[in-house]
Amino acid sequence: MNQKLNNINEMKCQFLDENATYDFLKFLKGRSKVFAPHRKGEASYIYDEVSDVKDVVLQYPRTIQPLKKYFLPPRETLLSFNIDENNFTESEINVEPRIFFGIHAYEMEGVMRLDYTFEQGQPESNYLTRREQSTFIGISYEPDEYHFSKSLGIDIDSVDGFSLYFKKTDNGYYVYEIDAAGQQLMKEFGKGKRVDIPVTKEEPEFTNKIKYHYNRLPQIFEHVYDSKVWEEVAERCVGCGTCNLLCPTCYCFDVRDEVEINATEGKRERFWDGCMLNPFAEVAGNENFREKLSSRTRHRLYRKFKYITNKSGELHCVGCGRCSKYCPADISITKIINNLIDDYADRQQKQVI
Amino acid sequence: MSGQKPKVAFFDFTGCEGCQLNKLNFENELLDLLELVDIVEFREAMDGKADYYDIAFIEGGISTPQCIERIHDIRRRCGVMVALGQCAVSGGINAMKNLHPSEWVQEAVYGEDKYLFPSIPAQPVSAIVNVDYEVRGCPMSAPEYLHVFKSLILGRKPEIKDYAVCVECKLKENECVLDKGMFCLGPITRAGCEAICPSNGQYCTGCRGPVSNINRDGAVDMLKKHGYSTEEALKRMKMFNTNEIDKEIKWGR
Ligand code: SF4
Ligand code: SF4
Ligand code: SF4
Ligand code: SF4
Repeated sequence: MNQKLNNINEMKCQFLDENATYDFLKFLKGRSKVFAPHRKGEASYIYDEVSDVKDVVLQYPRTIQPLKKYFLPPRETLLSFNIDENNFTESEINVEPRIFFGIHAYEMEGVMRLDYTFEQGQPESNYLTRREQSTFIGISYEPDEYHFSKSLGIDIDSVDGFSLYFKKTDNGYYVYEIDAAGQQLMKEFGKGKRVDIPVTKEEPEFTNKIKYHYNRLPQIFEHVYDSKVWEEVAERCVGCGTCNLLCPTCYCFDVRDEVEINATEGKRERFWDGCMLNPFAEVAGNENFREKLSSRTRHRLYRKFKYITNKSGELHCVGCGRCSKYCPADISITKIINNLIDDYADRQQKQVI
Repeated sequence: MSGQKPKVAFFDFTGCEGCQLNKLNFENELLDLLELVDIVEFREAMDGKADYYDIAFIEGGISTPQCIERIHDIRRRCGVMVALGQCAVSGGINAMKNLHPSEWVQEAVYGEDKYLFPSIPAQPVSAIVNVDYEVRGCPMSAPEYLHVFKSLILGRKPEIKDYAVCVECKLKENECVLDKGMFCLGPITRAGCEAICPSNGQYCTGCRGPVSNINRDGAVDMLKKHGYSTEEALKRMKMFNTNEIDKEIKWGR
C-alpha cells in the first residue's frame, strides 16, 4: 500500500551546514515566496511566509494547522453577490510560484491524499488552482510520542512529492536532489559540497506504533464496525472537532451566505467543518444521522482506513499525530486502532474455540 | 418585510446591562441597522409603548414573579422573540444562586428587607415562553447579535452555531492554551465569539454555554486531568451555566 520505493541513497547529495542552509533560504526567497515553519506562542509551530530567514525553525515536531491551509484555506470567500442586480462574481484565485520549505514526509503525503480527493468526480477547482506552481522541500525530523507514520508505510525519509530533501546530520544537512527542479535549484545556489557516500545514522525509532502491518488495516476495518471500542472512546470524547480540523487529510467544509447591512450585497464564505461536530450530520426536521459520539468517531476512522481507501488504494491517515496531540480529552488514534485490533483478535479467538 | 419598517423593541430583565454596553461597541453597524427598523421601545432611549413588535429582544433572565407576568405580556405582543445574552438564554451567572436555598440567598442580598423583594430561581426566558432565537455570551457576542438582527430584518433564518469554541480557535490557528498548561472550556462551549479569550491567551470560561448534546461526563473527565475534583470541575462548568449543566436540560433549542 503506502510504501514508496524512493530510495534516497541512489540520489545525488550535497552537504550544507546550518549557516549555508539559512543562506539557501535567502536564495529561495530571492526567487519566489517561501513558506516554512515558525514558532507560535510558547510551545507551538505554524507554517508562515518567510520574511526573515532567521525566524525559520528547521527542527520541529509538527505545526498546528497542516499544509492544507494554503490550498484549502480555513475560511475563504467563494463569491460576492448583489441581490438587487441579481448577479455574482466568483473570487479570483491568483496563483504564483510558491516554495514550501521544511516539510515532513507525512505532511507531503497528506497533501497528495487531498490531491486525490479533490481530483475525483467534479474536480475542486479552487483547491487545484491553488495547488499549482508549488515546490516542496522536505526535511527530516525526530518523531515524538504522537507521530506514527512509519506504521502506515511513511518513513521519515519518504521523499515522494519533494524536489529536495534535507536530512539532518551533524552540523548541517545532507541535501538530496529528488527531481529536476530540485537539481536546478542546487545548481543555481552553487554553495553545496558534493558528497559521494553520505554517512547517515540509523533512522530514529517511532515509539508510537500500530500493532499490525498497515496492509492488514483495511481488512480489520471490515470486522470492527460493531466493536465495543467505539463506545469506550465516546465516553471520553467531547466532540470538539479538533481532530478533524487539524487533520491533513480531512477536507469537509461548510458554506454560509452573509448579507451586508445594506441588504443588497453579500458574500458566500466557506470554512472547515468536521464530522465530529454535532451539527455536521443534522438535516431538516432536527434529525441527526450521527447524533452519538461513538458513531462520529467510527465514521472519522472509517473515512481514514476504509471508505476512501477502497477507492484510492491508499490509507487516508498519514500518521502526523495531530488528532491525538491536540485532543483535549487525550484520545489517541493509535490506541483506538490497537484496541480495535485487540477486540478483533479476541473475537477471532473465541470463534476458533 | 417590505414597505413599512419592522418594529423592534428591547426589554430589560435581570442582568447587568453588559450586553447593552457591548451593543454600543458596534455603533457604526448599529446605526446602519437602525435606519432599517423602527425602534419602539428602547429603555434607555425612549419611553412609550406600542401594541405590537415585529422583533422583541429580551435582555436578562427571569428571576421575580413580575418577570413572568411581563414576559408573557411581551410574548403575546411580538412576532419574533430573541433572547440576548447568557442571562436571557440560560439564566446566566444569576443562576448560581439556584445552587443555594432561596431564603439564604435573599437574606444575603437584602437582609431584613428580604420579604419586600420576592424572588424565584433564575431561569432562562425560554423556561417561561417560547423563544425563537438566542444570542449567547456574557456579555452577548456582538458579531452574532449583528448576524441575527440583520438576518431577521432581511427575512432570513439566522444561523446559530452549535459547535465548540475549539473550532473557531483552530480556524485561527491559535496556540491552544492547553499547551501552556491552562485548562479550557472551549471544547464543550458553543462557538460564536470567534474564540476571543483563547485568541488573547486566556482560557475559555464557558460564557456561551455548552454545545447541545454535550458529553457531560467526558467534560468532567477532561477537567479532572488538570487536577480538579469532580466537584471543582462541575463548579467551573456551572459558572455561567448552572441551569444547563445541573439539570442537563437543553434550553431553547
Ligand atoms: S479532538 Fe478528541 S475530544 Fe475532540 S472530537 Fe476529536 S476525539 Fe473527541
Ligand atoms: S487521522 Fe490523525 S494522525 Fe491521521 S492524518 Fe489525520 S490528524 Fe494525522
Ligand atoms: S485554547 Fe481552548 S478553545 Fe482553543 S483549541 Fe484549545 S481547548 Fe479549544
Ligand atoms: S472564549 Fe469562552 S469565555 Fe470567552 S467569550 Fe468565547 S465562550 Fe465566552
